[in-house]
Amino acid sequence: MTTYLIRRLVMMIPILFGISVISFAIMYAAPGKPAVMNLDPDISVEDRERQMEKLGLNDPPHVQYLNWMGNVVKGDFGTSFTKKQPVKDMILDRLPNTLILMIFSTILAVIISIPFGVLSATKQYSKLDYGVTITSFLGLASPNFWIGLMLIMLFSVQLGWTPVGGVSTLGADFSILDRLHHLILPAIVLATADMAGLTRYTRSSMLEVINQDYIRTARAKGFRERTVIYKHGLRNGLIPIITIFGLMLPGFIGGSVIVESLFSWPGIGKLFIDATFERDYPVIMAITMFGAVLTVLGNLIADILYAVLDPRIEY
Amino acid sequence: MKMKKSLLTLLSMILMLSLFLVACGGGNDTTTETGDSAAPTETTDTTEEAPTGEPVQGGSIVLGASGEPVMFNDYYNQDSASADVTDLVFAGLMRSNENLEMVPAIAVDFPEISEDGLVWTYKLREGVLFHDGTELTADDVVFSFNIPIHPDYTGPRGSTFAQLEKVEALDKYTVQFTLSEPDAQWAITAGYSILPKHLLEDVAIADLEDYRSFNIENPIGAGPFKFVSWTPGQNLVVEAFDEYFEGRPYLDKITWRFAADANALVLLLQTGDVDHIVAPASELATIETFNHVKLSSTLALRYDYIGWNLQNPLFQDTKVRQALTHAIDREEITETILEGRAQVAHAPVSPLSWAYNDNVPKFEFNPEKAKELLAEAGWEPGADGILQKDGQKFSFTILSNDGNTTRRDIGIIVQQYLGQIGIEVKPEQMEWGAFLDKINPPNYDFDAVVLAWGLALDPDPTAIWHSKEIAQGLNNISFSNAEVDAISDANRKILDQTERAKELAKVWEILAEEQPYTYLYYPQQHLAMNNKIQGFTHHPRVTFYRVNEWWIDNN
Repeated sequence: MTTYLIRRLVMMIPILFGISVISFAIMYAAPGKPAVMNLDPDISVEDRERQMEKLGLNDPPHVQYLNWMGNVVKGDFGTSFTKKQPVKDMILDRLPNTLILMIFSTILAVIISIPFGVLSATKQYSKLDYGVTITSFLGLASPNFWIGLMLIMLFSVQLGWTPVGGVSTLGADFSILDRLHHLILPAIVLATADMAGLTRYTRSSMLEVINQDYIRTARAKGFRERTVIYKHGLRNGLIPIITIFGLMLPGFIGGSVIVESLFSWPGIGKLFIDATFERDYPVIMAITMFGAVLTVLGNLIADILYAVLDPRIEY
Repeated sequence: MKMKKSLLTLLSMILMLSLFLVACGGGNDTTTETGDSAAPTETTDTTEEAPTGEPVQGGSIVLGASGEPVMFNDYYNQDSASADVTDLVFAGLMRSNENLEMVPAIAVDFPEISEDGLVWTYKLREGVLFHDGTELTADDVVFSFNIPIHPDYTGPRGSTFAQLEKVEALDKYTVQFTLSEPDAQWAITAGYSILPKHLLEDVAIADLEDYRSFNIENPIGAGPFKFVSWTPGQNLVVEAFDEYFEGRPYLDKITWRFAADANALVLLLQTGDVDHIVAPASELATIETFNHVKLSSTLALRYDYIGWNLQNPLFQDTKVRQALTHAIDREEITETILEGRAQVAHAPVSPLSWAYNDNVPKFEFNPEKAKELLAEAGWEPGADGILQKDGQKFSFTILSNDGNTTRRDIGIIVQQYLGQIGIEVKPEQMEWGAFLDKINPPNYDFDAVVLAWGLALDPDPTAIWHSKEIAQGLNNISFSNAEVDAISDANRKILDQTERAKELAKVWEILAEEQPYTYLYYPQQHLAMNNKIQGFTHHPRVTFYRVNEWWIDNN
């Protein structure tokens, strides 16, 4: 296991390096340059040129990449072109917000979708099963921003129960209740996307499990149905689901882009989309790499969990 | 069974929500008043009598903003969100009033200008204080204006100050600027923020742009409001400066709240979470239904246009360009697409400017005339009805940036108008960065483009119309005219405003006659704010203008 882990970790280096080269190349090739995104007739060509020079944007691309890489190795992700702040600080500032949102919405998704998935599987082809299936397909098919807008219109604007956006009430002292109040809508919206998928996965995984011989054996031994399903079945049924959690990790950034923008939630996703529109290279690169690390790590975690949960797997 | 019920509830909820959305986003036939010319017009939805009370001290408001500031230092920032904050925190010698005239601020009076226009002397008010209690003197002015002319200066305003040769303090309250050549724009440039020398003199000019502890964390100026805190992505707080030289502001505290976009701001305004926003024109009908909100509209200092790429042989003949303008009903565009909230434009200068000249050639909607002009230029209808000349079809793409529905609609309507006189137009939209890349040097890869210029206070046409700006600058349609070049070169040296306006009038005439752009319209800009905000003045260029005069009426 240890050798396996080390091998996997070492393999991450060339993978991440490759990702960084490709991302940098794509970003560099994308039209639009940071210094001209802001078309201000008051700023002269000479002044703009000096800005380009100062940001190192006049260097050839490979020099820019090497400079960037050199700094990253030293732990320096550079300074944002547009916000003039260290990229590391910007990300660290926003990371807690994204994490809170993610953790909350994941918990929400899990406590709703796993029981429904299991129920749906055990009562296959029942009305409940069809109900859950239709609802999850609706959830999968409805775009996040649409669900978000709907909820905002209903709960924030019409009923006035929840805030329209932001992480806390302006000027109010810190309070957990206030935070939760702001968290609830974005977390629900974010959870809907995961929920639908998780329910489907749980259902199919459970279906596979409950048709296995050992379940039949357990039933034959006269265990109660609950024990059979939740003790014997669920444990094995969850293995593929756990893997999915590992793979969901990188979605933490991707999935949050829309929800964070919709709810003015100052997290990584919002930062990323702003940076993209402004061609803020250092920020784009840092978040892309962050996402890449999460993806690689997520895969590794999924594999490790698999081994822990399923003794049949050996390395 | 239970599940079925909840599914039904869910479905009905979704249906209900869709109805809400339709109700909120749909058409609204509230009659809208069309603001007339430059005078700000205020429309109030409530029928209550207008509060006539005296200004009251106290209270706080929340301003909504969709853009985040970058830093609070006039000599380095280049975005409007940062400028909005610096306007409140800092003060300059002069400032622009709502009629776009420069008036004294920290200066006691208008400057004394030497005969040759090279030496400008300003007298400062005595007893003006920075937020840390230190008095602002001529030394601070000298310090501040030396920043952008220093060889190590790294900011974007170098050329704004290019004419400044030296600045010196004659005594504690008198400061003298010496220019290398006369500069009419100096009246405006002298309005830049004054920074506290005692806090910044030890910082090397090369490091000043990155000096976060002043520029971002704790900017100190002499403006009406003191900087308190900024939480990126969330909010920014300033509070009244008791010692402000024009008297303490009425409001105690102002908070900017940052939201994702203009639509989010409209929602926040509706729920009362923010008190003041720049209202997107597409949402005015919705905003007018909010009972607690009033709208203020005035002409913006800008114009929208279709630019014809003169490197493209299609548009090189003046007659053709005039014909294109004749064929497009701009009156109709302002009435339908802009719902009357704009004024048809004929030249690249705002009616708000002192340099505006109404006496320019005008090309009214006249498709017949357009056809004649095109025929004169040698364009004849081909077999398919499309105009042809030397075997070439009159067919081109009209480009605009993604996400801007007004410009998209203009592209489509132009396609129809020009289609009627036998010209084939393909409207196309593109992401902003890609769009800029395509239209700007060195690519110039476009036929026609729908865009707008926000204008500076000074009407100098050089940056957009001078032929030297073709290779690198903003003259991306490659317009070149010797007389425009000559007047552009000379206009800033003419200090007499009437004299200068007369010269510039010739430029507007040429540009109107030549039609390198089809000038579409001068749009209005709209601010929406809570009814409780009083003492508000609408400035065409400054969103948060004279906030120190705002006060809250709680009735």
